[in-house]
Amino acid sequence: MIDRVISPEETYDSVNERISAIVFKRQRSWGWLIGFALAFLLLSVLVGSLFWLFFRGVGIWGINIPVAWGFAIINYVWWIEIAQGGTFISAVLLLFHQQWRTSVNRFTEAVTLFALACAGLFPVLHLGRPQYAFYLMPYPNTLGLWPQFISPLVWDFFAVVTYGSVSILFWYMGLVPDLATLRDRTDRKYLRRLYSIMSFGWRNSARHWNHYETTYKVIAALAAPLVISVHSIVGLDFAYTIVPGWHSTIFPPFFVVGAIFSGFAMVLTLVIPVRAIYRLHNVITDNHLRNMAKMLLAMGMFVLFGHFSELFMAWFSGDIYDQYHATHEALGTYAPVFWITFVCNIVLIQLLWFKYVRHSPVILFLVAGAVNVGMWTERYLNVVGSLHRDYLPSSWAIYHGSFWDWSTFIGSMGLFLTLLFLFVRFLPLVSISEVRRLVYERDIE
Amino acid sequence: MNQNDLTSIPLYGLMAEFDSAEELIAAARLTTKAGYKITDAYAPFPIEDLNDALDLPASRIPIVMLCGAIIGAFLGYGMQYYATVISYPMNIGGRALPSWPGLIPVTIEFTILAAVCCGIFSLFIVTKLPRVYHPVFNHPDFRRASQDGFFLCIRAKDKRFDYVATERFLRDLDPISVMAVEK
Amino acid sequence: MNALSKTEVRAELDGKSGPQFWRSLDELADRPEFREFLEREFPAGASEWPNDQLSRRHFLGLLGATLALAGVTGCTRAPADKIVPYVKQPENVVPGQPLYYATAMPLHGRGRGILVKTEMGRPIKIEGNPAHPDSLGATDAITQAAVLSLWDPDRSLAPYLHNRISSWPAFQAELLAVLQKMDADGGASTRILAEPDLSPTLARQRQALLAKYPRLRWHEWSPAGATASAPKPDYDLGKADLIVAIGSDFLSELPGSLRYTRQFAVRRRVLNGKANPNRLYVLESTPTLTGAMADERLPAAPDRIAAVLHSLGAMTTENLNAAEKQFAEKLRADLAQFTGSKIVIVGASEPPEVQTLAATLGARFPAAPPDQLTDLARNLQSGNVKQLFILGANPVYAAPFDLKFREAVAKATFAVHLALYRDETSACCRWHLPQAHFLETWSDILASDGTPSILQPAISPLYSGRSEHELLAMMLGDFQPDGYEIVRETWRAGAPNDDFEPLWRESTHDGVVRKLSAPAAGAALVANAPTAPRLEANQTYLLFRLDPTIGDGRWSNNGWLQELPKPLTKLTWDNAALIAPAMADRLGLTNGDVVELRCNGATVEAPIWILPGQADRCVTIHLGYGRSQAGSVGNGCGFDAYQLRHSTTPWLAVGLEIKKTGRRRELATTQHHHSMEGRDIIRVASAATFRGKPNFASASLTSKASLLPETPPLGPGRYAWGMTVDLGTCTGCNACISACQAENNIPIVGKRQVLMNREMHWIRIDRYFEGSADTPRILHMPVLCMQCEKAPCEIVCPVAATVHDDEGLNAMVYNRCVGTRFCSNNCPYKVRRFNFLEYSAPAGSAFAQRQNPNVTVRRRGVMEKCTYCLQRITAARIASDLQSRAIRDGEIVTACQQACPAEAIVFGDIQDRRSRVSQRKSEPVNYSLLDELNTKPRTTYLARVTNPA
Repeated sequence: MIDRVISPEETYDSVNERISAIVFKRQRSWGWLIGFALAFLLLSVLVGSLFWLFFRGVGIWGINIPVAWGFAIINYVWWIEIAQGGTFISAVLLLFHQQWRTSVNRFTEAVTLFALACAGLFPVLHLGRPQYAFYLMPYPNTLGLWPQFISPLVWDFFAVVTYGSVSILFWYMGLVPDLATLRDRTDRKYLRRLYSIMSFGWRNSARHWNHYETTYKVIAALAAPLVISVHSIVGLDFAYTIVPGWHSTIFPPFFVVGAIFSGFAMVLTLVIPVRAIYRLHNVITDNHLRNMAKMLLAMGMFVLFGHFSELFMAWFSGDIYDQYHATHEALGTYAPVFWITFVCNIVLIQLLWFKYVRHSPVILFLVAGAVNVGMWTERYLNVVGSLHRDYLPSSWAIYHGSFWDWSTFIGSMGLFLTLLFLFVRFLPLVSISEVRRLVYERDIE
Repeated sequence: MNQNDLTSIPLYGLMAEFDSAEELIAAARLTTKAGYKITDAYAPFPIEDLNDALDLPASRIPIVMLCGAIIGAFLGYGMQYYATVISYPMNIGGRALPSWPGLIPVTIEFTILAAVCCGIFSLFIVTKLPRVYHPVFNHPDFRRASQDGFFLCIRAKDKRFDYVATERFLRDLDPISVMAVEK
Repeated sequence: MNALSKTEVRAELDGKSGPQFWRSLDELADRPEFREFLEREFPAGASEWPNDQLSRRHFLGLLGATLALAGVTGCTRAPADKIVPYVKQPENVVPGQPLYYATAMPLHGRGRGILVKTEMGRPIKIEGNPAHPDSLGATDAITQAAVLSLWDPDRSLAPYLHNRISSWPAFQAELLAVLQKMDADGGASTRILAEPDLSPTLARQRQALLAKYPRLRWHEWSPAGATASAPKPDYDLGKADLIVAIGSDFLSELPGSLRYTRQFAVRRRVLNGKANPNRLYVLESTPTLTGAMADERLPAAPDRIAAVLHSLGAMTTENLNAAEKQFAEKLRADLAQFTGSKIVIVGASEPPEVQTLAATLGARFPAAPPDQLTDLARNLQSGNVKQLFILGANPVYAAPFDLKFREAVAKATFAVHLALYRDETSACCRWHLPQAHFLETWSDILASDGTPSILQPAISPLYSGRSEHELLAMMLGDFQPDGYEIVRETWRAGAPNDDFEPLWRESTHDGVVRKLSAPAAGAALVANAPTAPRLEANQTYLLFRLDPTIGDGRWSNNGWLQELPKPLTKLTWDNAALIAPAMADRLGLTNGDVVELRCNGATVEAPIWILPGQADRCVTIHLGYGRSQAGSVGNGCGFDAYQLRHSTTPWLAVGLEIKKTGRRRELATTQHHHSMEGRDIIRVASAATFRGKPNFASASLTSKASLLPETPPLGPGRYAWGMTVDLGTCTGCNACISACQAENNIPIVGKRQVLMNREMHWIRIDRYFEGSADTPRILHMPVLCMQCEKAPCEIVCPVAATVHDDEGLNAMVYNRCVGTRFCSNNCPYKVRRFNFLEYSAPAGSAFAQRQNPNVTVRRRGVMEKCTYCLQRITAARIASDLQSRAIRDGEIVTACQQACPAEAIVFGDIQDRRSRVSQRKSEPVNYSLLDELNTKPRTTYLARVTNPA
């Protein structure tokens, strides 16, 4: 069964060669250059938007009273949920001994990191006075003031910081043996030196492997509850309030599931082209895609359940405000957004019931892309849909993203893609050592 | 190579190379049986069997991480309690002091962060990394240890180490090669 | 007047844009007004001012000079004359100690007594004068905002000759020659156009002038139609059990409205669990605040109003529709029942036919305001008038279009215009003279009931302004006029021989003149009454009304009033053609559709606003907008309704035609949703229901179990502040909003920001419609921070920038706020306001001098909200601590409470069982908004008890 995740003709050498070649190959690849150029263009859009933002203030966005949160928070939630996919694949699947994770975990962890980088940006940007963001940090100051610890935003701050640092450590730890491999495969003096420093002089000693393996597994075991706590906290940002449509106990689990959902979707949308470009079909087999497709479907059904329970609770609670919100969401101002979400997140994924769809990378790619869109519009509904009509009709108002909202959002994709392009170019995007182990395990079978 | 120049150069150990993991494991097992203590093996990926072949003790890092977790938890909650109840108590929305459920999330994050950091740091300590230079790198083929080479090394400072005997012992395990590794 | 700092201007020159003059004065930089502003700073250099586009280098150079001169003009100047503080204060100003001066504000020719609060010599706030009959301590929104006009940098700063800067001596030189000419012909070719003003001094000067120049003609005119000479009927609403208002908004538009509101409120209030409300019938064509208070309201076109009134007399109800019939029968029954204690009030703007019919019901009304402008215009056209002196008025903008006043004025060889601003009229006159603001002048004026007050300056003229008295004195030959002496002369005449000084001192101190008397005002005036339009059925009527915030246009450069939501439409920065929903359906119009209004042979393009409760076949347009030379704030807002106003039909025109243009205009409203969605927000019951079930408002409330400890962990402190708002007496007049704005340095954001729902008012008045769209019930509810004991905003703030103090205040720590806006999201009342951009006036601007020094000016990116006027609480605490006593009940009044004419807002210590607020809270009608959320608001409401027939 193992050769379903690694093709029979692969040997240690071929694996080393295939993966490190991506890093070492000198002949220039136009595809990469163009892709990187586009990504960098988007990144500069972000930089421009931020300059204007700091110059004029958050008023350049469409936010208002009552809708005081807009794109910034939507994007934050969207990105951090994308981040979840990577951690889930690399950590949770590791614990469940899913061998098929090995050839994709490195890549998905990278996705996690870069998505986190984007996510981490927005909570700071959306502040009216970002220069004082450090007030959320507990640090000794002359006023003797502390953060207000029962605020979900403070929880958020700690969650994102923890999540970020753990992900980086976990990711780099996995990278160390591969850096050693790169060190040993190059003859160029300085490159060799660079890699040997980056790999801390790793020398594949059995005694080191022993500690390394244990620690790696334990950290993975800790990462699993970590991501769950992180996304519960993101859910609590909303559930903690008394805003109709936010004030609901389903939110924390709902956000965790939604996160895995969008995480897998994003991984699929990225892995399918990457594996096509770098011809990695032997290490990232169709079987990988199928498994992820199944996960996507399963999570999608959970999301559907979340929606259902929201509606049910609105009706069951007898709370007129919740009921108004529930009906208005589907039929009111933002009905189009609702129905887009409905189609992308609930209707389309039903295709995944069919083997044919799961076996066709192209359709998978399209479905996954749709889910990415759907998750964004869903967050739009969560944030804007609830805020724009709360308790007193006198304060009801409409919200629309301004030009700068959009440019910042699209620009953040630029940041993500730029980092991703640099990663696939300069670091092994599949874990060489783990694939070697796969080859070994295949052989002894 | 002959006896006298061998004694003249400082020796790290003798390194034998095998062409598959299985052979390495078998060799390691024999080496351990032969009573060699200060040995090490090098393989391009972790192999569980090597651990008992060289009878390496299970890593104790998890215990360190557990301690880290517990300390982190106390630190996390303690800081929040001190801040909200002792250092600067305030009436926040008429909530009780401390409103402990609100302090749980940060406590959890503290716990996990502390545990992971402890793990990483203790890993550095036990492996004595980073260390960019190491004698084993003097072995001409050692580069393959990170690709497809499997090496077994008996350190010169092992008390049962005797250049001639040990070399013969290694050769009997029929490796690809046996080489002396200089300090 | 302060200069701008160079950095600010550079920031401006880097190309800032947008209408928010308010966000930074500098945005004027590339506008002509700004050049003027520079000229004013040093008139000497102004003559060689380059008319062509000035270069940045030159511009900055001049700015340096401005900066240098800032010290001269910027420092506050104590009035030269001897004026008397209202309260016993040391003569010399104590830093941090405000001084109050009693004076009066002229409004439609009548005086409203006010107290001006000055900090270090700067007038910063206006309060009502409790001793004055037209104020009784209250103010309205316009009075509150008047102080902003004082500091308006767009005000005229120097005399202008043919729109080029000149000087007073130059003017006096010309005047001398003119006076000689007048002496020759006895003033035959000379006219004076003044605004109606019941000022004894003005009357005295007028008589003196007419005596000196027997053939001179004095015209009195104001677009508001009010005339000084016409006697105003006065009412005592306190005694009335039945009030019938026919097209009269007596609660807000009459000079005595504040007093009427007070009297009216007394009868509507639930006191000690009992209510004995009067009954108010309102018959009107366009909704008014009075209509919103009505127990029985019938919107009807003028011809239907006439029909209803006629049927009352004729004891018949045929040719009335169902609604009219019902209304008529109820009214007839009540008129019969309350013969002794009824008051019928008819609006001055109603057609004569209606007024005469109303008279049969016992209504008293002023004679139709005599129109003296037509005569003047005719004589100007025919060239009979060579010298024209315009005192204050702005006829070129506001005169009926058929008089073609622009050309008319041009015919006068020596036209002099004394005004606060260089407006449309100034541009057409030979001379423009800067008028002193009423807070800078000595004068006197009568209240609506005839009580005289002395106007004393709270600050000597900031610029080279002169009062109309001083100008008239010049015409009388005194070229060194002294306003102080002119006014004293008037009153000395009527003083018992030698005890004038103490009486004068007392009068100026109190703000009302009791023991002194002045020569009776009033003079024979030329007049020809407007011809009444014939009220035919199925006509479409065009109603002209003064704008509820900027009046006839004289306040159009006042940002506070521009951004103040109109009480019923909630529109800001614009006027619109108000039409009934039914009519809108017929014509297929929606809000914002621009239509062409054709009437009296003139056309104007106006955006549509659908107003429930508007009578069918009636279109209401508000005067005062569409100005071209109001100033940087007022220019270009709205459309000019005067272009449709014919001299013969000033208030009501028939035969209106409406044509769709297909274009649209965005209208900035502060409330988009007008139904309560069946939510229990404003609680109302009829007196009958109330007697049966006094606690109808709070009966629904059931206490919910909570795991949280009930008592706050800290406090309670020495006091527990709380507030009640009485929905039964609140008329929704906006005074509280304006007062709060002045007290708390609340910035203006401009139309574009209002369109984005970013207005900053800390207290707002929600207006809901209930029932059918044609005859809805109109409800008002002031909403300010509830100071919840279990504040949802506090628990979500990550930096503890909003926390509770031990006296129950939900405090905002501005310098701690990082601007997550989470608190606003979690506020169910949505009373928090956010500085999305840099809204506050820059430190260098004139408006910075107006600001209340005791209230922090909020920076960009900071959340703000009502804090029960914390600065006033603190002031009272300091005062009481100094005397080591507790703060007395009523010692602290919040700005909104102080302004409220209906005394609907009560603030105080709810720990003290005997305090007024505690008593109000113990009324059965007391309830808290959204009580099901268990936020435990400190601000509670008293449900409204109506008295329908």
